[in-house]
Amino acid sequence: MEEQFIFRKQYRNILIVLMVVAFLVALTAVFAFRPGASRIWANILLNNQFFLGIALGAAFFIAVNRVAMSGWHTIIQRLPEAMTSFIPVAFILMLLIFFGMNSIYHWSHYEGYDEVLEGKKAWLNIPFFFTRIVLYFTGWIAFTWMMRKNSESLMISSDLKYHNRRKIFAGLYLVFFAITVSASSWDWIMSLDPHWYSTIFGWYVLISMFVTSLAFIIILAWFLKRAGYLTQLRDDHVHDLAILLFAFSIFWSYEWYAEYFLIWYGHLPEETTYYITRLNEYKAIFYLNIGINFIVPFFGLIRVRSKRNLNWVAMVATVVIIGHWIDYWLMIMPGAAGGDSAIGLLEISMTILYAGLFIFVLFRSLARGPLIIKNDPLLDESLSYES
Amino acid sequence: MDSPKYISVFFDDEDPLREAVRKLLESKETIIDVMTPFPVHGIDKLLSIKRSRIPIGGFIFGILGATLAFGFMTWVFTVSYPLIIGGKPFFAVPSFIPITFEMTVLFSGLAMAAAFFVRSKLKPDIRFNPVEERITDNMFVILVDTGNGNTTPQKIRSILSGIKTLEIRE
Repeated sequence: MEEQFIFRKQYRNILIVLMVVAFLVALTAVFAFRPGASRIWANILLNNQFFLGIALGAAFFIAVNRVAMSGWHTIIQRLPEAMTSFIPVAFILMLLIFFGMNSIYHWSHYEGYDEVLEGKKAWLNIPFFFTRIVLYFTGWIAFTWMMRKNSESLMISSDLKYHNRRKIFAGLYLVFFAITVSASSWDWIMSLDPHWYSTIFGWYVLISMFVTSLAFIIILAWFLKRAGYLTQLRDDHVHDLAILLFAFSIFWSYEWYAEYFLIWYGHLPEETTYYITRLNEYKAIFYLNIGINFIVPFFGLIRVRSKRNLNWVAMVATVVIIGHWIDYWLMIMPGAAGGDSAIGLLEISMTILYAGLFIFVLFRSLARGPLIIKNDPLLDESLSYES
Repeated sequence: MDSPKYISVFFDDEDPLREAVRKLLESKETIIDVMTPFPVHGIDKLLSIKRSRIPIGGFIFGILGATLAFGFMTWVFTVSYPLIIGGKPFFAVPSFIPITFEMTVLFSGLAMAAAFFVRSKLKPDIRFNPVEERITDNMFVILVDTGNGNTTPQKIRSILSGIKTLEIRE
């Protein structure tokens, strides 16, 4: 079953038009409503983080499945692989933050003496900050490139040595990813509130990334199936994807609760400032966040029948993706933009712009090889998988 | 002599068992039961056995456990014996969550275990008469209804020719 995704002119045109329109709307929003510089840069950071998270979470999905020697994911393996091709683009976009450092990161330009920020100066200074960005992205790009090249070699030569190497690459990536995703979340998001810290923050962001990726993979699979591809994707595979989305949404809620409960119960002033801001000024969004990201996937995907229906699962996945965008918004905006923050035309148009870019890069990468991986020893197991 | 009630067909592996079940159903034989030492994948679907309702019971009891736990804690800490603990409000929802979660899991698990025992009619000191003892060891058995003598071991043998059966007897 030779399936080849063709990046049709029609899709290309729609995406380009979408990106241009979104960009123009964003520009209009900037000139019409005059948001502060911090809000604009916070938007860039938010969307960078969101879509980079989807790409990194996709690589995480592949790595975890390979280390566990799972066979069922082989049929959809090319989908997350293609998603990882966005990481180099995210690298360039993240470097742009250099021009907005002073607008969002208060530690980069404080006057006078601030004891807490002085203590953190060894980590939070601009040269080291950007050195770390380069380090993170070099590693991420190197590993995901190696994984993609490995798949290509396997498809061409069907030499089993490429298949055996995968577990090693996956393991190395997981170790590197675990360290760098925590560190990058401290750098990019946690330092927005530089007087605050949370030791669970790295994992919280990791799980947000993974759940968002899972949701995106599901939506992508739904789109491809509707367009006539992935004819051999059965209810059994959808069931497993839905199980993962269900389970990790619950895990995300657990991380959310762990962070919130410990800070609430400990009642330490230096920690509670984070939640006081969010509960007082952003109350509706705060409760919407936990509602969408926990209640919807939990009750929406709890029945076996719901888990086997791709249309329903894709609907829940869409809600989850929007919910996690709101979660990132709540993490980033109060600290970066403060009173200026809102969910308005600027936010929506910029997100659509980034989404268009992400999907464009994704489709290009998807069209570069067969849609279903060839010569993979686990492919038969995946095609005859019963769940 | 009474006509035997059923014919037992023995196997020592699950794949011939599945094939045999399929062939017997195609030949419109009535299968009373299939007994296996461990759950065999696919048999439920072939025999059109309905899904168990035990998970539904688990869900209902889970909700019951959550309500009981949360309700009880609310009553205790707001009406019956309010205490100021660490400066927290009396109706401290975040504090109630761990215990509520644990009670949900507890009630759900215990209910499903109890429902299983009830449905299997397992209670202390029952007498269990196995139809065939060897299924507890390594044998898979299909029990086919004789239908007043219409089905004979010879007939079964001819239907299942080509599948590795160990024994066919009344």
